[in-house]
Amino acid sequence: MFVAGNGAFLDSTGASFGLRLKNDRLNQMLVLLGHVMVDVAVIGAGQTKYGNHQLGLKGMWAEAAENAFASVDQDFDPRQVDEAFIGSVAFGGGQLGNTAALLTEHSGMEGVPVRRVENACASSGFALRDAWMAIKSGQADVVVAGGIEKMNDLSPERKRFWLGVSGDTEWERLAGLTFPGTYALMARRHFHEHQSTHDDLVHISVKNHMHGFENQHAHLRKQVSFEKAASGFMVADPLTLYDCCPTSDGASCVILAADHVVRQFTDDPVWLRSSGAGSDRLALHDRPSITQLVATQKASKSAYSAAGITANDVDLAEVHDCFTVAEMIATEDLGFTESGQGGMFARDGQGIRNEGSVCINPSGGLKSKGHPLGATGTGQAVEVFKQLRGSVESGRQVRDAQIGITHNVGGSGATCAVHVFGRDRNE
Amino acid sequence: MSDSAQWKGYLISYSNDSLLLQSPYIYSDSPVYGPDSDSTTMTVAGIQYLQTQGHQISAIRLPDSVDARVVFMSTSVDSPQRNEELDSATVDWHVIEGDEATLVLSQSDAEHFEFEEPTGTELIDADLFNDMNAAWELECSKQHVSQGAYVSQSQYLEGGAARLSLASQKFDGQIIWPPRQMDSFGNRLPPEEGLLSDAATVESWTKLSAAGAPSEFSLRAPILGGIQTLLVKFVEGPRGVFLVCDDVDYSPNIGDKIEFGVRRIYAQEGLIRYGLKAIPFIV
Repeated sequence: MFVAGNGAFLDSTGASFGLRLKNDRLNQMLVLLGHVMVDVAVIGAGQTKYGNHQLGLKGMWAEAAENAFASVDQDFDPRQVDEAFIGSVAFGGGQLGNTAALLTEHSGMEGVPVRRVENACASSGFALRDAWMAIKSGQADVVVAGGIEKMNDLSPERKRFWLGVSGDTEWERLAGLTFPGTYALMARRHFHEHQSTHDDLVHISVKNHMHGFENQHAHLRKQVSFEKAASGFMVADPLTLYDCCPTSDGASCVILAADHVVRQFTDDPVWLRSSGAGSDRLALHDRPSITQLVATQKASKSAYSAAGITANDVDLAEVHDCFTVAEMIATEDLGFTESGQGGMFARDGQGIRNEGSVCINPSGGLKSKGHPLGATGTGQAVEVFKQLRGSVESGRQVRDAQIGITHNVGGSGATCAVHVFGRDRNE
Repeated sequence: MSDSAQWKGYLISYSNDSLLLQSPYIYSDSPVYGPDSDSTTMTVAGIQYLQTQGHQISAIRLPDSVDARVVFMSTSVDSPQRNEELDSATVDWHVIEGDEATLVLSQSDAEHFEFEEPTGTELIDADLFNDMNAAWELECSKQHVSQGAYVSQSQYLEGGAARLSLASQKFDGQIIWPPRQMDSFGNRLPPEEGLLSDAATVESWTKLSAAGAPSEFSLRAPILGGIQTLLVKFVEGPRGVFLVCDDVDYSPNIGDKIEFGVRRIYAQEGLIRYGLKAIPFIV
């Protein structure tokens, strides 16, 4: 082993790398060593329906994993999995410790090195990133990334406890804030700084319900009118019930493979072209601006750069719309529109499937599809995988989709993971 | 001769060596504490008022109902109740508790004082008063363990000075609040050495419905019809989030001026957590 200049370590063959290397630095070192960077493909993906499940953790995970295994074109044996990463906040379900080991034990992956990944609502977005890095590092060829959350087996009182645990407990929570409150503060400030309005948020709600209406896996499969969405029960002024995602049960599972083994599983892979991530100060009041998420900006910039694309190249985006204002701000931070123009982007219908410049949340997003916290990030990847392979329900397909992204945010923006998927490998 | 005024949401009457504080709320013809107030919060307000009048208070004797630790963290004024080693000769002020929601802070330990009757009282809704009292009684019982966020005693005390007196750090020309451990270069930041001014401006606000409020407020939020939170920016630059005190009837606007008073936040396992809440300047 020797230690590289930046403190990363290599083993004597040069095949094993410290995981903290930045992609570009890793590439440089591989070039020096005569290695070719491994590309990563998605070979299978599946999920449960999101909603109020009768199933517990083990049953939901088994269903998601089974669907993922079945989606692999060739026979898939879960004993081929080298490593597994499962995101969960461990909200309900009663298995806080060693959740991941329990789940793999019950899904044919007994004995596989596994761990639970926790980054609030971005837990499985980061599980996906960890899985991607495991293959990129050369340590694994076949890796499972997944997520799970059981949210509806708790009393309303305990739910309210869990819904705020990923904010800043000491300062925000004692000021009465749960996430509806923090996002409401962001919305009102955005209205003030950028002349956006609540009507802009209503457009987002209506669009996402329209997209999710035909999604068989969506929690809230109902279309809503503008008038109904505009007059919902006030949850956290100015956000109404129609601005807020539901609390959902659900699980999702994605199978990744290194390029040199992909053809064992499929001739039709979707390439996971890059992974970007960022973080920011936990508390809203500690950030210079509350109308943008720096973590999203960092993550998307990094992911776009590594994939060699710009926001203009994206055909569809699964965006973290835990609240409608989150989608409005994300369209700015992800580069689909200029800073401060997210309201106009929504008003003009720019995110509507096959009508706007880019389809935002073809699945219905968190608003309609649902938000089982730890399952959301890889659930977004399931949707992009299916969209790029043309295998979603009829009527839901984004036309000519070549590039899709997922955008998964933890809390009010303390963490964010962005992934770029493509029909083609990186050039 | 005394002057009558309002201070930190309380009515006060001040003469040369004594201060009367009274809750503005009236129920059954008697003053009663508002939804977030008690003798501790009013004592803190009284000491702060005397300090603004130039009084140097070395130490103060407190009634048993007052949380001496909160008084110290809020005002830096010590008491024999908090510090058993305190030299009793240094105690130069006394807090005398009235039968109702009134207090006198005096350098004398006399039992009778003459004050001008404070003006500006208002009737409190009977249901609100009774329901809030019942909720606090339940919440303050040692048996009540809410499902709310657990801010342990040590964490609460660690942040106490910043939470109760706006103690802030100074580093590289910047004022930092709430306190941070390291800067973005990994340098350890100094301990708190200054206080933010008690003035800030509203940058955003929300009112959470009772259903959306954190569970530690679940007993009181339904009574209050939700809870109101302000994001404010202090004159010195830092921002913070604060609840509005005592269910004041207030429709915020961005740009409104705000001051702060110590109030109850919530109770867990028999310990009341106090902190600053926003008091709007209502014209």
